[in-house]
Amino acid sequence: MAVVAIDGLSKQYDGSSDFAVRSVSLTVADGEFMVLLGPSGCGKSSVLRMIAGLEPITAGTVSIDGRVMNRVPAKDRDIAMVFQSYALYPHMSVRDNLAFGLRRRSVPADEIARRVQGVADRLRLAPLLGRKPHALSGGQRQRVALGRAIVRQPKVFLFDEPLSNLDAALRVGTRAEISRQQREIGTTSIYVTHDQAEALTLGHRICIMNAGEVEQIGAPMEVYRNPATAFVARFLGSPPMNLLPAIMEPAGDHVRVRLADVTFELPNWPLAAARSHLNQQVMFGIRPEDLYEEPITPMPRLRVQVRAIEPLGAETILLLSAGGQNHELAARVGRETSFRIGESRDIGFDVAAVHLFAAATGKAIARPTA
Amino acid sequence: MLQVGEAGTWRLWLAYVRRTPLLLFLLAYTALTALPFLWVASMSLRTTSEIFANPYGVPTHPHWSNFADAWFGSNYSTYFWNSAIAVIGAVIGVTIIGAMAAHGLARYHFRSKRLFRFIILSGLVLPPQMLILSLYQILLDYQLYDTLTGLAIVYVATQLGMTVYLLEGFFAQIPQDLFDAARMDGYSDFEIFWRITLPIGTPAIFTTVILNFVILWNEFLYAVVLMTSDENRTLPLGIMHFMGDHQLDVAMIATGLMIAIVPVALIYALFSDTMIRGMTAGAVR
Repeated sequence: MAVVAIDGLSKQYDGSSDFAVRSVSLTVADGEFMVLLGPSGCGKSSVLRMIAGLEPITAGTVSIDGRVMNRVPAKDRDIAMVFQSYALYPHMSVRDNLAFGLRRRSVPADEIARRVQGVADRLRLAPLLGRKPHALSGGQRQRVALGRAIVRQPKVFLFDEPLSNLDAALRVGTRAEISRQQREIGTTSIYVTHDQAEALTLGHRICIMNAGEVEQIGAPMEVYRNPATAFVARFLGSPPMNLLPAIMEPAGDHVRVRLADVTFELPNWPLAAARSHLNQQVMFGIRPEDLYEEPITPMPRLRVQVRAIEPLGAETILLLSAGGQNHELAARVGRETSFRIGESRDIGFDVAAVHLFAAATGKAIARPTA
Repeated sequence: MLQVGEAGTWRLWLAYVRRTPLLLFLLAYTALTALPFLWVASMSLRTTSEIFANPYGVPTHPHWSNFADAWFGSNYSTYFWNSAIAVIGAVIGVTIIGAMAAHGLARYHFRSKRLFRFIILSGLVLPPQMLILSLYQILLDYQLYDTLTGLAIVYVATQLGMTVYLLEGFFAQIPQDLFDAARMDGYSDFEIFWRITLPIGTPAIFTTVILNFVILWNEFLYAVVLMTSDENRTLPLGIMHFMGDHQLDVAMIATGLMIAIVPVALIYALFSDTMIRGMTAGAVR
């Protein structure tokens, strides 16, 4: 049980002039499941390794329960970590792998046996305790790695892309397993991934990182619905949010957006909120699920060319181009579609679902609260 | 049907013919290495006068007592145990020190690491003739001249380069995550060396142990310069002792050689599989 607070955390690797992590601050509440999400190379693993004590901190602090950990060696931080490669000790049986961390902490032998057995039962590893890691399947190895963290009963769990080496089917099952274990045990957890599905399903909150900096921190649906930057909008969602260049203009007491060959009004965006962006380049954002192939009457419409149709069973993804050939967008429609490849059609969108981002900074233009 | 059979036979013959040069080469190589061995083995069972009368004769009446004479009568037992003490001591020392150095070079980044590696590995290329005078003087200064301890220390130093070279290559392939995991599990750097690097590196360590043992067991140059008294001689020196200025006890030399070969042959027979595995081992999974 612990609160993990990182403040102004930065990392510069030897021989590199750039910062891999730049002034990252976030607080993980007691028992919270925090996911660090971002593309590879965004610095999320560096943050995790600095929390673990495996990587020296260039600037800033990591504290657990108010105690600054910068100078505390990894072995004394009482943190357990699950690695992407599982990092099971190849020369030890599953039982010894689980017990290895407890032996070092001079836990009595009968207590070790009891806890190893408990974790083995919990993770269905009991029949495998005598085996060596090379005789286990990928999913079993992953469960041993998870068990090795749980058995220690540490203050904090760290997960470094633990599901990346599993095949798709196993990944969904193990994801649910991790979620259930964390819920039952209630240990503060920090989980690094580049997979948005893992982030959205596992995290109590998600911290989205890009180029060493935090883009946004928030609950999964909050960051999905209200992305703070164009990067977040593009990173979350599959297919991601459509972003098209547009111009924002005043229209009485609210704003108007000129997008390709259409102009539409945003009646519930008051002029005051967008004053500094008027008559400037903005990015118009709309999620694929907010595009409608059969627009309801008052909806603004966009003339599009159908470039490809991807039926996925439960839904169909339409790949479209608008405003000539330059702007690609994706729409998510129902199981069936009346669109045909090569057709020119009108597609409608929900004005209430429109996002606007400043073209220069990528930051979201404050959206009026409904 | 007959034609098909003939074609098959023909193809089989062709395969034999194609392989003939290889077989001939292997045969010649085996003869080149095995015949001198068999010759020495046969001489070890004959007397010197028999050998001088007919150098290539076979032992019609094998004198097994040669071995007892050599062991009890000619000090071979002393030489054998001297060799055993110096070589086993040196192998233990070079394995522990070399493994630690290799672990450090493979795992940690520190200032002047390249310099350290260069100094250690330079032991691989310096010719012994160049070192021997200074070693002689150093051992004299520390009163280690003509002692098995001194010889063992010299052996550790001479074999360190090769040992570190072989082990570092292997240790560097052990995934970093294992070390990180052990650190998270609460282990110190030194404990990680003992509990992770050494057990996982066992095949590579076996390889260096065997190589070092064979090389040092046959070592002659350092021993002949650094050991003088008869009771401190190692086996290769003891064998040379029978090549006197005025007489040559060929049978005793042959017997001594056979005794000297036993431990090496035993080690090869027992561990050659592990050694080959260690030399060809890929990444540890």
